[in-house]
Parts: sequence; C-alpha cells; structure tokens
Amino acid sequence: MSEQLSADIVVIGSGIVGSLAARRLALQGASVLILEAGPRLDRGRVVAAFRNSPIKGNWMSPYPPSPWAPHPIYVPKDNGYLKQAGPYPYPAEYIRAVGGTTWHWAAMAWRLVPNDVRIKSLYGVGVDWPMSYEELDPWYQEAEELIGVAGAPDTGSPRNQPFPMEPVAEPWSMRRFRERLAPAYAVVANTVARNSRSYGGRPACVGNNSCQPICPVNAQYLGINAVEAAEVAGAKVVPNAVVYRIEHDAKGRIAAVHYYDPDKGTHRVTGKTFILAANGIESPKLLLLSASDKYPNGLANSSDMVGRHLMDHPSTSITFYADEELWLGRGPQSPSSINTLRDGAFRSEHAPYRLDFTNISQVLSVTQDLIKEGVYGTEFDKQLRWRAAHQVSVKNVLEVLPDPDNRITLSSEKDAMGIPKPEAHYSIGDYTRRAAEVSKADFARIAELMGGTGLRYSAEGNFANNQHITGTMSMGNDPKSSVVDGFGRTHDHENLFICSTGVMPTAATMNSTLTGIALALRTAGHILPKPANAHAAVSNAEREASLS
Amino acid sequence: MTNELEDVMASHDVPADPSRRRLLAGLLTAYTASLIPWALAQPAPHADRGAFTALSAILVGRQALDATQTARLYDALVADDAHFPADVQTLLTLINQRQIDPQQLQNVLDTEHSPLAKLPRKIVGAWYLGVVGSDEAARCIVYETALNAVVVADVLKPPTYAYGTYASWANKPI
Repeated sequence: MSEQLSADIVVIGSGIVGSLAARRLALQGASVLILEAGPRLDRGRVVAAFRNSPIKGNWMSPYPPSPWAPHPIYVPKDNGYLKQAGPYPYPAEYIRAVGGTTWHWAAMAWRLVPNDVRIKSLYGVGVDWPMSYEELDPWYQEAEELIGVAGAPDTGSPRNQPFPMEPVAEPWSMRRFRERLAPAYAVVANTVARNSRSYGGRPACVGNNSCQPICPVNAQYLGINAVEAAEVAGAKVVPNAVVYRIEHDAKGRIAAVHYYDPDKGTHRVTGKTFILAANGIESPKLLLLSASDKYPNGLANSSDMVGRHLMDHPSTSITFYADEELWLGRGPQSPSSINTLRDGAFRSEHAPYRLDFTNISQVLSVTQDLIKEGVYGTEFDKQLRWRAAHQVSVKNVLEVLPDPDNRITLSSEKDAMGIPKPEAHYSIGDYTRRAAEVSKADFARIAELMGGTGLRYSAEGNFANNQHITGTMSMGNDPKSSVVDGFGRTHDHENLFICSTGVMPTAATMNSTLTGIALALRTAGHILPKPANAHAAVSNAEREASLS
Repeated sequence: MTNELEDVMASHDVPADPSRRRLLAGLLTAYTASLIPWALAQPAPHADRGAFTALSAILVGRQALDATQTARLYDALVADDAHFPADVQTLLTLINQRQIDPQQLQNVLDTEHSPLAKLPRKIVGAWYLGVVGSDEAARCIVYETALNAVVVADVLKPPTYAYGTYASWANKPI
C-alpha cells in the first residue's frame, strides 16, 4: 500500500453526473476526491484519432480501452468485456476515462414529461418514482444552467424558468421536415447541451457535425467540462484508479474504498461520505464485487435489486430518399424530434416513444452502400451526390419497462486486473415491441409526406441500442424493492449514495443524462444542503460566466 | 534519398531513372483510352503504378487523379496485399481485352466467379473512403481528400471540420 488518501466526500467515477455532484459539494466547502478507473484524455488527440480512424461509423473507435480499465468494444471485433447472457443482446457502449461516456454523446438534455414519474398510477405499468416532476423542476433548472442547455418550450416538459439559451439554429433539412410534416406532426428543436451563443466560456456551435464522437470546439458540454468545473471548485481527481472493493465497518457504514493502479498496486481511500457514480453497469458491478460476510449478496443489496431492472432505449428506424435535396450533415447531428407520442392513454397498452430525426452526414453510409453495390465509373459520383442530398432517417426512442430479469451480474470471466467482467441479461418485452410495430405507421406517414422513395425499414425484430443505461440501482421508498431512496442514499448504508442514471426507476423516452445530473445535484443538496436560494445563486454565477 | 525527396518525386510521378519513364498510353487499348483520354500522356514511374492509375481512373470515373494520393494509396494497397500489383495488371488487361463497361464490371466478375471479384471494391474503397485493408488490418490513409469528401465539398465539410459561422446551416444548401 503506497499511500493513503482521504476526503470528506469520495466519488467513484468522473462522468458528467458524478463530477457535477462533486463540484457542488466542493463549492460547499467539502474536501472531494474523485477516483476514475480510466486515463485522462486530450480533446485534440481524440479529434485526431477520429480523423485517422478506418471505422468512422463506429464512435467508440477514438476511445480505445485501457488494459487496466476496459470498456466494451464491438468493432472491428467484440473485445468480450461485457458478457452477453441473452436472450437478446445488450451491446452497451460506455467510456472509462476522465469525463466518462459523455465525451461522445449527442448532448440531448431532455427532461422527463410529468407523467413519466407516475406510470404505475396512471397506466398500470412499471413503477412510480418517489418524487414528482415538480420536485425535480428546480434541479433540472440548475443542471440546465450548469451545462448550458438550449431548447424550445413546446416539448411536453413544463418549466418555471426559461431555458438558459434559445434553441440551436435549425438546419435547412429539419426546417423542411417541420414544414412538410405539419400539421400531422409537430417537429420541434431538440433540447441540447449545445451552445446557441457563447455560454459558460465556451463558443457557439459551428456545425462540425461530429457531436459524436467528439465536439472539436467545445460548443457541446462534455463530461470533461464537468470534471474541470469540479477541479476549479476544489475537487481532486485521481485517474487510473480502478476501484475494486468498497469496505464497510461493523455497523454497515462505508469506511473506505480500495483501488488498483495500472501496475496493480493497491490503495485504500477513506472518507466520511461515499458517492458511487460509475455508470449503470460498472456501479452495480462494484456493489456486487464488494460482497462480505455481513453482506454476502453485495453491498446495498438486501433487496436483491442491485443490477436488476436494466433498461435502455431500443430503436427501430426507417431510411428513405426524400423528394428534395436536404443534405444532412450541415449543422449539429441531432437537431429535431417529434415529442407528441411521449405520453398518452396508450401507455397502458404499449410503450411511448420519441421520434428522432438524424442530421448526421449521409456521405459515409451512402459511400459504403455504393461500394457494396459495385457501382463504378462516372455513375459513382452522380449517385453519391444524389443519395447524400436526399437520404434521410427517422428512428423511434422506445420506453422499456423495468423487468427484474433484465440485469447486470458478475461474469465468471475476469479482466486483465483479475476483476470479474459484467454480464448482461436482457430481453425486449412485448410492451416495447408493440410500440415498435405501432410506430411503423408513423414512419410510413413521414416518408409519404416527404415524398419518400426507396423506403428501408430496420430489419424485423432488430433493435438498435441507444446507450442510455438505466434502472440497475433503482430509487424507491420501499427498501425491499429498491436500492436507494429518493435522495440517492442506499437503503443499507447510511453514508453511501449513488449518483447515476442507474437510479432512475423507469427509462421514459428521453436520453437519460440530464435527469441523472438533476438527481445527482439533488443528492448533493441532500448531503450538504445549501441556503434556500441555492438554485438562484448557481444560476447567477452561470449567467455571469456566460457573459464573460 | 531523403523521405522529402521521395515525396516530391512521388507527387510528380517522376521515375528515379528517366530511362524507365512510361506513359499510361502504353498500358491501354483504344477502349480503355476512350474511358480516360486524359491518361494517355500521363507518366508513371513503373508499369505497376501505371496500371493502378489507369484502373483507378476507370473505376472512379475520373479524368484526373492526384499523383501524391495515387502513390500513397498504391503503397498502402501493396503493403496490405503483395499480390495487388499483379491482380491490378490482370484486371486492367481483362477490361482492355473484353471492353467491359465499368457499370457491368462487378456483375461480370461475380457471375464468372472471378478471383479478381474483390479487387474493384478494394480500389474504390481506398479512393472514396480513404481506407485500405479490412477488419483489424484496416488503415485510414486519407480523410479530407478521400473522394467521397471531394465530391460533396461544395456542400459539406468532412465531419470534425466547422461548417461555418453559427447558423450558416439554416440556409438552403444549394
């Protein structure tokens, strides 16, 4: 044991959720230590790695895993880190590095819609959340002002204060969708952590169209921005610290965590309060790994719910050629959605969904198609231009209900450090499949309204995954059926909190990051309460920063 | 020879020994010359590279190819597959002799179960995607000047490059 570290607050994981909780606590005067399994990355090197990548359609390619902190890779071949127990594959992607998975994300910063937290009461499915939407509103606002969210008012998520920024300028392609789909569908700007003006010392978007895998210009808020904000607030980050055990005392309080450095040297870190923020897969893995004589099923697991209720957002899609030139690829990747199907009485029968339009350049995919088709000679250029101008795609983002059989467990296989790999048990239920079927009518109608030809539906029964890992450490009021309470405190350990999208009891239809941040800020506020006007104080600070 | 000098020479496709200078015209028949008339007077440092240039021009439908990029892609393709030069010569000869329309080429090769059936895609993939090799052996040789970026350069920037000032994307593309 080479050294002993200690802090008031020890945070395991340096993603956007944990880092913003850490920042808030550090600003409150606590000493905060963030332990991150992966290395520190450099934005410029990530950009270069993408430009030099032979597999640019795979957004993990600029983020190779480190040997001591592997993460799942599937292309060009599966690295076998996330074991698949089936019956349906769950090829989750995430990044173990300082800043975490939001190094690459579409920056979609959606709120829930109010009824998302009451689907058991209203529709007889899933579970209710241990809080109301109204209780979340100020925490959403704080999160939105911290990360700089631009959005439109008409997305179904009410708010008491305005968005920090106006919506990002609408690409021509999305304008045409909006104009041609009205009045059948309302196409509105996505709610995104992307600057529509200078904000937080970062510039406005300049349309690099590489939001995934990397925003080169810092117009999109990333986890690394959260880490840097936490460091400015006084938090210390230890990279390459692979936590492999959480240690409790005789009373069940957490006393320390243990980590390996890349040479497998062991280190013990003590603290007063511990926050587990290592995402919805690595966090339950660590709780299960930390089993002891007193807690033979793992920590925080008296309910046997750790790792269960794994949820994400499966998607099916349609790709077609519009009858006019739209040229996807100008501006940010994910600009607009249809939000009107995110809630309704139908939720008692099938999943709600958001319909999402891509603005990702089609040049790569149509080039690959033409090569596959064996098109050569002068025809290649003609076809490439025509298809790149006309090809569009729409996908659904489907809710998955919590199912205890969908879960993360420990594999019998171990990684290079000798730590058991996570294993996914997953299936997609009829509730979700019915919605995929229903949404085909929307796909067809959208294609019709756009004069679509060459309609290509995603293969029957095939669902793309969206990497919105939720549910594996669900919050609830009943310790018998949930892992943490409404403030993120584990039912079993007084000083162990969880900040993660993994505490969300249901997945709803929106990208989970903003809700994860809002819940984490609420947890931080519970650990160290601020004065009554705390939200306003943060807002003002951010406003000042945005003007500087 | 320094690397810089090699690059300069490659960029002009000038052979180290002028006595070995060749023109692509010598590699073509009347049919293929009609597909790429510009190429007749183009020099090539050696027959193998010349055949690659000619076959590339036919497959990607170009009347001109950047010499530096030709050299870089050729070298990468040879490094990936030692048989590549011989295969290129064979396919070019096939097209010369049978006057195969580029539009029909893949169909002809597939129908005849030709051992060369994978070759056109390798060459076209190198030019349009800038990628040589497959699976774990794949390498990105060029990005910004891959032909799929060049073809749409009046409308789109390669991803990671700024499109323009904020909101410039709101206008009609063309």
